[in-house]
Amino acid sequence: MSKKVIFELVDQLPTNNLTIRALKTLDRVIPGEWENTVGFDNTIRVVTGESDPALIQAIGERAVVLFNDKSQGYQNALWLYQKVDEADKALGTAILANKLSDKVPLMGWVSRLTPRAQKAQTIDLSIKLVVELVAFCQINGIPGDSIGDFVQSLSDYSGESLMRLTALICFDGLIPLGPHFLSSVTETLTNLPPKELTANPVFNRVQNLIPGQNPASKLAFMGESFEATQGWISDFTRDRALTPEKVADNLKTFIDFTEDKLDYLGALLDVSTNYYEHTGIQTLARRLIERAFAET
Amino acid sequence: MSLCLVALCVISGCGNPPPLDPPSPYALVQEESSQQSVQAVDQSAINGAQFNRFFPTTDGDYSRVYTQEKQGFAEAKLKQEDMDIAMLSISDTLSNPAARDKFTASKKTIAGFPAVNQGSTGTAILVRDRYQVKVLSRSETFTSENRESWLIKFDLDGLAKLQ
Repeated sequence: MSKKVIFELVDQLPTNNLTIRALKTLDRVIPGEWENTVGFDNTIRVVTGESDPALIQAIGERAVVLFNDKSQGYQNALWLYQKVDEADKALGTAILANKLSDKVPLMGWVSRLTPRAQKAQTIDLSIKLVVELVAFCQINGIPGDSIGDFVQSLSDYSGESLMRLTALICFDGLIPLGPHFLSSVTETLTNLPPKELTANPVFNRVQNLIPGQNPASKLAFMGESFEATQGWISDFTRDRALTPEKVADNLKTFIDFTEDKLDYLGALLDVSTNYYEHTGIQTLARRLIERAFAET
Repeated sequence: MSLCLVALCVISGCGNPPPLDPPSPYALVQEESSQQSVQAVDQSAINGAQFNRFFPTTDGDYSRVYTQEKQGFAEAKLKQEDMDIAMLSISDTLSNPAARDKFTASKKTIAGFPAVNQGSTGTAILVRDRYQVKVLSRSETFTSENRESWLIKFDLDGLAKLQ
């Protein structure tokens, strides 16, 4: 897949693979919110409700022009979505290969992962949330560190963007870190030495776009972002009675795993799915097309 | 020798190569807009933040949520009881002059401004031959009449004075 030709990226979005099947298990969490819309012209038709070929062509052309202008931020957003999933694979692979193993695991759900693996997954979750914020601002405008605006916009999230947040909470929060994933993230971010951040592969790939002059200030921004959004995440999780068991049960419809392997399920999802990139490309396409039609 | 002949037959008998895909309808614009010097937004285009104050205000069960703000462009969602019913936008046609062409051929006006219906979901007006104000339906019940009534709710006189 070409990395930077927007209509090719959208044309080549898969209709059915492990990512799609994993996301579809979340239909029960956000029923009717996400359709796996693929294909560039098809996405234009779906987003706009138009069918006239000449108009579709004109909108598509304007969308291509907007995307190819690097100053407009769309390529940055795409890069962020892709880098997160690339780094995820490295993290998941390491966990599955037990490379992050340490001493004997502690008792309890949250501690089924070894402490080092748990910390890595926690940092991964908080960085993904920051990436969501940064990508949002690259695509839609608004100053890059306007957390307040972003938090407000979360309540209006729908479609593929809401699916991405839902997957983040379920696959990167509940499954690897358990029902208390929120407090786990808070505790980790509060106690994490900044220099440990630079050892994180996800952070290393996206750090240039995270506001802050150095790891300490970037860490502070991550903590601030997380604090601002955890109210929304907490309400979302509670209102839908989401638990690790519920998410895992849905996944059992197509992944065969046993209870004693549950702690590696998060890593398995990291390795074998790219939900962030997939739904990120769909979000990007939608926003481009909306702007392109408005400007045509 | 016979083994070579068999191999040759197998190789040549692998079938005809698959037909090449036709070029994408966007291949030309992709090539043209990939040049480093090409910019999608005119440097003189108005900052989108300056458009926000000309958007319609809402009350009752309507609400407006700003969704995009870039140089030369601002957009908001119009919601009714939490359902998306339309997209409202103002764009500076300095960045896309071809967008003005459709108004030249139109005899329609709205609030005294050149106007067009676009596709089956859009209605737009052109203010001071530069700013395109557009309403796009996002619900089947939001008709062209609804689009026109929301177009005139923009502060069009204020927008016309924007330099």
